[in-house]
Amino acid sequence: MNACPGPVRTGKQKKRFQLIPRLKTVCWFCPPVIYIDPPVSVVFPFSQMKMEDMSLSGLDNTKLEALAHDIYSELVEDACWGLCFEVHRAVKQGYFFLDETDQESMKDFEIVDQPGVDIFGQVYNQWKNKECVCPNCSRSIAASRFAPHLEKCLGMGRNSSRIANRRIASSNNMSKSESDQEDNDDINDNDWSYGAEKKAKKRKSDKNPNSPRRSKSLKHKNGEHSSGVTSDPYKYNYNSGISYETLGPEELRSLLTTQCGVVSEHTKKMCTRRSLRCPQHTDEQRRTVRVFLSGPSASTLPDPDTVAESEGFDASDGQSLIGRLQWDGSDISPSDSASSKASTNNSDSKRPKKKKKPSLGLGSGGGGGGGASSGGGGASGSSQGSLSLSNRKKKPKLPAPPTPSIYDDLN
Amino acid sequence: MTRHLCRRGADKRQAQKLVPVQHYANLCNSNSFREKNMSKDSQMRAAINQKLIEMGERERLKELLRTKLIECGWKDQLKAHCKDVIKEKGLEHVTVEDLVAEITPKGRALVPDSVKKELLQRIRAFLAQHSTL
Repeated sequence: MNACPGPVRTGKQKKRFQLIPRLKTVCWFCPPVIYIDPPVSVVFPFSQMKMEDMSLSGLDNTKLEALAHDIYSELVEDACWGLCFEVHRAVKQGYFFLDETDQESMKDFEIVDQPGVDIFGQVYNQWKNKECVCPNCSRSIAASRFAPHLEKCLGMGRNSSRIANRRIASSNNMSKSESDQEDNDDINDNDWSYGAEKKAKKRKSDKNPNSPRRSKSLKHKNGEHSSGVTSDPYKYNYNSGISYETLGPEELRSLLTTQCGVVSEHTKKMCTRRSLRCPQHTDEQRRTVRVFLSGPSASTLPDPDTVAESEGFDASDGQSLIGRLQWDGSDISPSDSASSKASTNNSDSKRPKKKKKPSLGLGSGGGGGGGASSGGGGASGSSQGSLSLSNRKKKPKLPAPPTPSIYDDLN
Repeated sequence: MTRHLCRRGADKRQAQKLVPVQHYANLCNSNSFREKNMSKDSQMRAAINQKLIEMGERERLKELLRTKLIECGWKDQLKAHCKDVIKEKGLEHVTVEDLVAEITPKGRALVPDSVKKELLQRIRAFLAQHSTL
């Protein structure tokens, strides 16, 4: 085998010869017939693969290189055509020049990079946007306080049932307190009166009884008083007496049913002993105070069962009581005791007749109280028409109207 | 476009069966027995192209070229050139032929050497791979 001198092999042929011995046992130096003469004729029955192989095998490097370049230029041309089609379509559809803008308009949208402003050049205020508007009372509240406020305002949560009740009451009494505006002037500085609430709203102050800040201070005082209804902490004096002028009617009522409540002559504060049998004060004093503060209906000391009754009042009862307390309270100002007497007399005298005159409109309000008294009890009933309905309901529970002698005591 | 694709797909499928016959016909027509060199060249080209398409290598190369050209900014350059051409001719009077005539020479010239080299490399690799089979 080695003795056979083969032809000199170069280039592609070499490879072919390397392959062949694996396929067949042929002499290395004697190429098989099929590879020698016109390959096509012989190869024809074979697969295309073989034929291509053969055609390639005939190439030298320059030809291969030319072929590669051809393919490459074809590809580049393809890319050019693709771009041309793309551009042409864009032109015909009209979106080719869309991204072209003039320098003037570009200037308007330049990105600002300065401290203190955002990329649009606007001043960024950290706190300005962090306010929410309460959907219920439509005040704007800092976002961090919004959830607690909603809890209070919508009447869910631990402390808010009382507030919700008051809200209902206030919406029911709103019309009345409007009509009472004139003689509510005295108590308009009282945070807890509903006539004042409107003004407080206008001022947007935090004196509004439902504002979260206010409720917070309430929460702090809850430990001290079971009633838990006081105004701001500084209204307490050193011996934790309560200045009754600052109390709302409802608070007053609950105070009077649970505590002694006699007003001291020196400090003008109420006694806050948790008992109706306070040894320092007499029953007579207590009775006087109750008459003074809440009108003749509460003139008797509440004994245990009436206390229970008053606890059992439903919302409408509570409201009416609130209304009346407020109305009376507004008149009991030291400036015009005369009118106070007249109006309390009014409320006294009209009470028996209310059954027949339910809710006769709003009338002229408390300011007309004096005139109403001259017109007789029946006429005066109209001034408090809004109260009459609920008063009717409550009347059996309440003690009988006191005699004028009580007022003599008072005065 | 979809029709085009379908046709191409069909071509691919038929290619396996058809090619030998086509080649046979080509060979007979070209009279390769006598004009061996000429026919061999064109034959080879056709075969190579066929192979490129069949293997999907042509598509791959095209995709590679496209991404490379976009990466190197060739496309943006040509687009800018297109803009000039279009402005010159007027928006309404532009035809694809005009664009191609203007763009293709420039496009060829602008292809970066690195891209060209890479592409040629891949083509050569393909040729070498399939010439030894």
